[in-house]
Amino acid sequence: MDLLGLANYAVFMGILIGIYALLALGLNIQWGFTGLFNAGIAGFFAVGAYASAILTSLPASGRLGGYELPLVVGWLAAMAAAAAIAWPIGKICLRFRSDYLAIATIGIAEIIRLVIRTEGWLTGGVRGVTGVPRPFGDLDYMPSQIAYLAIVATLVLVAYLLVERQVKSPWGRMMRAIRDNELAAAAMGKQVEARRLQAFVFGSALMGLAGALFVHFNRSITPEAIDPMIATFLIWIMLILGGSGNNRGAILGAAVIWIIWSVSELLTDRLPTEIAVQAKYARVFIIGLTLQLVLRFRPEGILPERQAGSPPHR
Amino acid sequence: MSLLDFLNFHLVPGIVLGSIYAVGAIGITLVFGILRFSHFAHGDMATLGAFIALALVTAGMGPWSALPIAMAAVAVIAIGVDKLFYDYLKARPKIVTVMASLGVALMLRAVVQVVFGVDPRTYASGIVRPDDYFGILLRDRELYTLAAVVAIVIGLALFLRHSRWGKAMRAMSDNPDLARLSGVDNRKVTMLTWAIVGALCAASGFMLGINNELHSMMGWQVLLPMFAAAILGGVGRVEGAVLGGLIVGIAEELSIFMLPAQYKAATAFALLLLILLVRPRGLLNGKVL
Amino acid sequence: MALLDMKDVRGGYGDADVLHGVSITVGEREIVVIVGPNGAGKSTAMKAVFGLLKVRGGSIVFDGEDITAWAPDRIVQRGICYVPQVDNVFREMTVHENFEMGAFLRRGDLSAAYERVYGLFPDLKAKRKNLAGDLSGGQRQMVAMGRALMLDPRLLLLDEPTAGLSPKYMEQIFQITRDVRDAGLSILLVEQHAKQALAFCDRGYVLATGANRHEGTGQALLADREVAEMFLGG
Repeated sequence: MDLLGLANYAVFMGILIGIYALLALGLNIQWGFTGLFNAGIAGFFAVGAYASAILTSLPASGRLGGYELPLVVGWLAAMAAAAAIAWPIGKICLRFRSDYLAIATIGIAEIIRLVIRTEGWLTGGVRGVTGVPRPFGDLDYMPSQIAYLAIVATLVLVAYLLVERQVKSPWGRMMRAIRDNELAAAAMGKQVEARRLQAFVFGSALMGLAGALFVHFNRSITPEAIDPMIATFLIWIMLILGGSGNNRGAILGAAVIWIIWSVSELLTDRLPTEIAVQAKYARVFIIGLTLQLVLRFRPEGILPERQAGSPPHR
Repeated sequence: MSLLDFLNFHLVPGIVLGSIYAVGAIGITLVFGILRFSHFAHGDMATLGAFIALALVTAGMGPWSALPIAMAAVAVIAIGVDKLFYDYLKARPKIVTVMASLGVALMLRAVVQVVFGVDPRTYASGIVRPDDYFGILLRDRELYTLAAVVAIVIGLALFLRHSRWGKAMRAMSDNPDLARLSGVDNRKVTMLTWAIVGALCAASGFMLGINNELHSMMGWQVLLPMFAAAILGGVGRVEGAVLGGLIVGIAEELSIFMLPAQYKAATAFALLLLILLVRPRGLLNGKVL
Repeated sequence: MALLDMKDVRGGYGDADVLHGVSITVGEREIVVIVGPNGAGKSTAMKAVFGLLKVRGGSIVFDGEDITAWAPDRIVQRGICYVPQVDNVFREMTVHENFEMGAFLRRGDLSAAYERVYGLFPDLKAKRKNLAGDLSGGQRQMVAMGRALMLDPRLLLLDEPTAGLSPKYMEQIFQITRDVRDAGLSILLVEQHAKQALAFCDRGYVLATGANRHEGTGQALLADREVAEMFLGG
């Protein structure tokens, strides 16, 4: 691969790493800081993607749309839609064990997938939504890519700073205390429920935003675009490997895993077709195995959670 | 619609599906009760069992003869999975084991996908016409499925109620510390539980495959209904899992009277949310974990 | 030689010591009671005997064998049975199944053992098919004791067996304890109801802040002014 091709590939990867970093940051809020097991990440991602796509895209026959609203509206709507789905799920399931929440999120992701596939009038069914505008889309290829990378990177930075600030605040310390000590949590009652719900909803909103960024990058979205379980699982392992409870860890994990994932795809693509297809699934096996190894040998991840920096008040 | 039509096109398929869910849900509820975590690899373990049976059928065996061998194989594999991936997480919070099981699910599925590919397969080709039993239409495979489920449920119930190790399992589910004080070897019960769960997974996967078709996502797709069934019936209770399985299966088949056909799969989710809202301990009062 | 000889035991659950040199002996066919104010380390001393504590000093000898570092499952097989204060029955199993679990490690004909246990707890015979969790507190306590007795132990450890029970059940438990002793066992028990416990036991130990304070026969301790001042009050 020549230098230009390499540069192209790097920028392309950077954009996707940024999108996954947002997803990992969202999961970090939910799991890393609040101990909530969201196994339906792909669902919130899809909701954000479709919400933004429908609101901003060109009209299409047989499908709701053609509003051609500005990008910002689309992206805000993506966050709002994901949050709106998260809220009732959180309200019902957060008070239970974490694994009940996990099952419920698996369920909601499945429902979302069904709706996307079935309600063609809304989502375009298997055809999906096309004609989605892209910021700086009119520029030449390379400048357009770099512009998009800049947007994604900015958003990741903003999200990172926002979340870092929340985490370092008294709110953040309280959330970690609650996460680590169920008895303390029980003593605080209603307060805890509300805080957990906030964390769940806010994390989901970030995931919705990631979805929007994805769809505007590709200018279209179809149900096949994301394999829900692989996408969800990739983000989990990104967070665990990078370091759950650590925002930089989340971003680092996104980078490391995505690089491994997409480079391995490049390699398997070069294999003869008969085994290429099977080889792709071998990558899934390796990723699953990686999770087990991380859980066994370095459960805190590459960048472990930092303990609260401020001295205790007496 | 006539009564017979209702029976044949809705109730009977619902009962068949429900009994398959029941077998899966029993495994889930055993892991919940004795090992105290949600086993997310359950569905993909069922997929593995179904495909192991397929391999045997391809080698020339009859499907129902292949079933016991597949059950034994997955029983052993389940013990192996526990030793490799869950055992060392024992001291950590259970949710970490849940996460590991999600990883195991993906690994099991990937093995099936690499070895067998992703195209749908069947145990036997050709259309099978149902036989008429006084107006009720049943295919042989459906009859055998129901018989197998009844045998499994009764066999397991007798084992749990009357045998020494069945009681040990119940004791561990009830009060693990006291069980230990009574001399029950925790590790042996764990292995026994995984063996039974593995066999149940294989059975449910096989029955799913023989009544429909086999594909690599088949187990994952029934994970939610099986979990819903276990929680609906009351976590940790075998009778609850059977009841829950039947309810979910029948509800799914009857759901087309209320929902468009594509949303069948949403029924289980709706039931899950409903029971969590209204009676989280399940119909037969399961454990509070 | 004493059946149980606990000498100068030091230890705790974590890094800190709760016991600072506790010595207790139990002879054959004896009821020995441990009393003391809250936090004295009474239950802890008992747990040390059963291997549920990190013992860092001293020794525990049972029937001539040093069991200081043994794990509970090994101690059970050696002939000591422990009835915890809470969570001491299998609530989802019947009374009879609880007894069966008690005898899990035994093989062979157990009819004599069942006879003995139902003989000690006649009330439970009618309830043998009831779930243990459905019984009253007093009856559950009896199931707990019966479960422990199924293994035919030489020494029975009871942790606050009368906690939360009505006077009627308390008296029953004490009576049963005497019956068990007469049948040939030794019993070591921790009790919060110090007066009643000292009245019915053979010998007693008063512990405070993790160490021995007084010892003697039950009657002697009851009569002792210092013991009375300590906590028996009224």
